[in-house]
Amino acid sequence: MSEADYKELKKGGMMRQAEAGHFSVRLHVVGGRLATPQLRSIQEAADRFGRGEIHLTARQGVEIPHVPQDALAAVKAFLAPSGVGVGVAGPTVRTVTACQGCRVCPSGVIDSPALAEAVDKELYGKPVPHKFKIGVSGCVNNCMKAEENDAGIKGWIEPRWEAPACTFCGVCQAVCPTKAISTSEDGVALIVDPTLCIGCGDCITSCPSGNMREKIRGYRVFAGGKFGRKPSLGRRILGVLRTKEETMTAIVAVLGFFREHGNPRERFGDTLQRTGFPALETFVNERMGLS
Amino acid sequence: MTAPLLDITGDVCPMTFVKVKMGLQRIVPPGKLNVRLKEEALKNVISSLKTEGHRVTNVSREGTIFLLEVENSPGAIK
Repeated sequence: MSEADYKELKKGGMMRQAEAGHFSVRLHVVGGRLATPQLRSIQEAADRFGRGEIHLTARQGVEIPHVPQDALAAVKAFLAPSGVGVGVAGPTVRTVTACQGCRVCPSGVIDSPALAEAVDKELYGKPVPHKFKIGVSGCVNNCMKAEENDAGIKGWIEPRWEAPACTFCGVCQAVCPTKAISTSEDGVALIVDPTLCIGCGDCITSCPSGNMREKIRGYRVFAGGKFGRKPSLGRRILGVLRTKEETMTAIVAVLGFFREHGNPRERFGDTLQRTGFPALETFVNERMGLS
Repeated sequence: MTAPLLDITGDVCPMTFVKVKMGLQRIVPPGKLNVRLKEEALKNVISSLKTEGHRVTNVSREGTIFLLEVENSPGAIK
């Protein structure tokens, strides 16, 4: 098989193994969720075309290893009726990861699987200068490690202090994990520093008088993270976004910036090192009509 | 009558709230319980109290130790 042929196969999720003539078949999974008929179909495919093994990847994906080259088309056709598609590799938008979100997890702030589905539908497999990973964490406990992704999203609670019944008891300041809350110089107001606030909502949960309230229960976008050989963490961009739709627009805009400014085989974080984060934020704000 | 004092400065979660809950069960609503606790127990104790329908009616502090006055609300979860 020529390298050109292999590149085509790889784009379609067929990963060449160390063992000549064998492939690990990457499947299309969104947010680590599979229906039981799909699981049964994958099990059957692994038994029939592989060696009865399934590999769970680092980013919630599933691969069927040990599939001979001449069975690749057959395994794809076998899985299709159960709604299991093959994955992608190379310079594309990769598997969108997600936690269980607010419909399952008591800590969840956003419906992470719903956002992951929307992102996947719009962007999965789309060509980009280099691999592009997107992950959605339902809250700031960050199980999906938003900052490790080229674009990461976290559920975020932005607090708002209201004066009327506040007794300045100090509980919110004591529980704040980043010490983002301070008392104004004249001692009559509490100030939440948005650059320090991590959107956990602990100040709201703990406030005995109900004077710390939710201003926004929404989405926070992080950009430029990666792991691999030269890890770097993504940084938060934009303000807290209120809706899934607004967040989708932001992610599409982030990807648009990468397409416009990224060099081939350059990860997004490296692109941002060259352009700076303000250029990205200006671009995204313009696309969102917020300039 | 002075409200009884419960000191949970030597306890860790979840015993902090377990002891507060047991303390409140011994008080006829709408009675009060004073709880002495460390800063790190504040979030879990106050959020659990609110979830169960009790009210924190006063807060004072001595350095990193807080003193909560908790009202055992009649409608609280038993």
